[in-house]
Amino acid sequence: MSRLSSTQWIMIAVLVAVAIAIPFLFDPRGYGIRILCLALLFAAMAQSWNIVAGLANQISLGHAAFFGIGAYTSTLLLIHFGLTPWLGMIAAAVLGGLAAFLISLPTMRLRGHYFALATLAFGEVMRVIGNSWGGLTGGPVGISVPFSQPSLMALQFKDMRAYYALMLGAVVVVTAIFVVIKRSRLGYRLRAIKENEDAAEVIGVDTTRTKILASVISGMLTASLGTLYAQFQFFFDPDTVFGIASVSIRMAMIAIVGGIGTAAGPILGAFFVIPLEELANQVFSAKAAGLSQLVFGVLLILVILIEPKGFMAIGPRLKRLFARGDR
Amino acid sequence: MIISTTPLLDIKGLNAGYGGVRVLHDVSLSVGQGEFVTVIGANTAGKSTLLRTISGLVEAQGSIRFDGQELVGRPSHLVPALGIAHVPEGRHVFPEMTVEENVMLGAYAVRSASDLATRRDRILTMFPRLRERLHQAAGTLSGGEQQMVAIGRALMLEPKLLLLDEPSHGLAPKIVDELHETFLAVSRTGTAILLIEQNTTLALSVASRGYVLEAGRIVLSGTSAELTGNDAVRSAYLGL
Ligand SMILES: Nc1ncnc2c1ncn2[C@@H]1O[C@H](COP(=O)(O)OP(=O)(O)O)[C@@H](O)[C@H]1O
Ligand SMILES: [Mg+2]
Repeated sequence: MSRLSSTQWIMIAVLVAVAIAIPFLFDPRGYGIRILCLALLFAAMAQSWNIVAGLANQISLGHAAFFGIGAYTSTLLLIHFGLTPWLGMIAAAVLGGLAAFLISLPTMRLRGHYFALATLAFGEVMRVIGNSWGGLTGGPVGISVPFSQPSLMALQFKDMRAYYALMLGAVVVVTAIFVVIKRSRLGYRLRAIKENEDAAEVIGVDTTRTKILASVISGMLTASLGTLYAQFQFFFDPDTVFGIASVSIRMAMIAIVGGIGTAAGPILGAFFVIPLEELANQVFSAKAAGLSQLVFGVLLILVILIEPKGFMAIGPRLKRLFARGDR
Repeated sequence: MIISTTPLLDIKGLNAGYGGVRVLHDVSLSVGQGEFVTVIGANTAGKSTLLRTISGLVEAQGSIRFDGQELVGRPSHLVPALGIAHVPEGRHVFPEMTVEENVMLGAYAVRSASDLATRRDRILTMFPRLRERLHQAAGTLSGGEQQMVAIGRALMLEPKLLLLDEPSHGLAPKIVDELHETFLAVSRTGTAILLIEQNTTLALSVASRGYVLEAGRIVLSGTSAELTGNDAVRSAYLGL
């Protein structure tokens, strides 16, 4: 197992310095820092997705299920029992992990697009439940997080920079978990499964159990991020938090565009996709509803066609180019 | 002749298939300790399914006794630790891992064994080409070399029984000869082998006994000499 090289350490140090400096460049109550927060949140979400999709090659299109469960769990506990969202987040993680376990049982033996379709259906089922079980969720009209005195304990802040710090922390934690798993024995088993599932099975890897474990960790983290989202937005509805386009596909796209299976990929992807999406919305939305999404979709398809390994493949590509030039 | 010891592998009345479609019908077959046995049969006869069933990858009814244990109903990941190594059909290496990682992973089921380095060296002596390419990604090797990786990986287990599913498929004749020399050498060390080969002549030349599988049923069995002399086998599988 390799340790980080000194260049990698320097890069991480530079990134941390930039990350700390950035919020001071923005209006603390402005629009820009909100987009920044969303980009960080989606980076963390895509990183959670990366644990099961990037490491085990199980491309889930249903992660909105866990995200929505997380958003509703902490919010309902806060509304009905006044429970702090920090504990709400733990409850969210438990329920998200449980949901991931239950959905894994019938789907983990499925491969490729069969798995993707099954998880997609699961996300949709959760969205329909969220909309129809109005007594619990408030139904299609959505639900509001009750305001309280801003504090760390209440996980509510006046200053957007506090949210920025929170989201940045989430990215760091989830990325660290991803890296630790990737370098662990579990990561090695996942890698074997990803590279050749049949071969992994005949050497004695419990492929089903390994994939379920990764899926449960991924579901727990995604649900926790759902709680952060609720505390950040203060209002949400089933179509948003359980949405295919708004959550499931977006998580997948971000990781794929950035570089699936790599630690930096989801972060690069989020800082490309989320601001671009905002830009497209501003340029096109007023003129033609839906056009921005179309343009955006085409852009993403182009990226994937040109470089299926995402942005993370660009570095090695340049290196090869220069190496050839040297000779 | 009185056979005093029970066979290492003893399959009786085995039915197996995929999702309700039965592929193997009432198959009975045995492999003695250290014996070299082959199963011949046309494409889609169910040869791969038979090996996969032994490895626990296919649902089955009936009995598969191995070394005193029942295998039917046992999850596949627990089978290697009993001493069964499987080289699946097609060249199943981990393409992005190095040759060394691939080989070492073969001992995954017995990873606490203390003699892994010795095992590794023995395999690299058997396949000197792998030693030269130890730190190369397995996916970048030639077909024959990848097959050596898959076989070397299986041998890391020091199995009592080695299952080989068409190891020569698509390889140059020279490599095929080399591989079969290796199988004979492995067999001489006391490892039992159950071999499947499209090339029936080749299979019968190395194995001492064989079974003929037709549409999922065993229709004939005998020593390699008997099968080579059998008219039906000669016309159907040896092209004579
Ligand atoms: N994974 C599978 N799912 C469904 N049917 C299969 C599967 N694998 C093999 N079969 C079917 O089982 C039969 C036997 O296949 P196989 O065991 O691969 O034959 P052989 O190895 O002798 O060519 C074939 O009819 C094949 O279509
Ligand atoms: Mg076959």
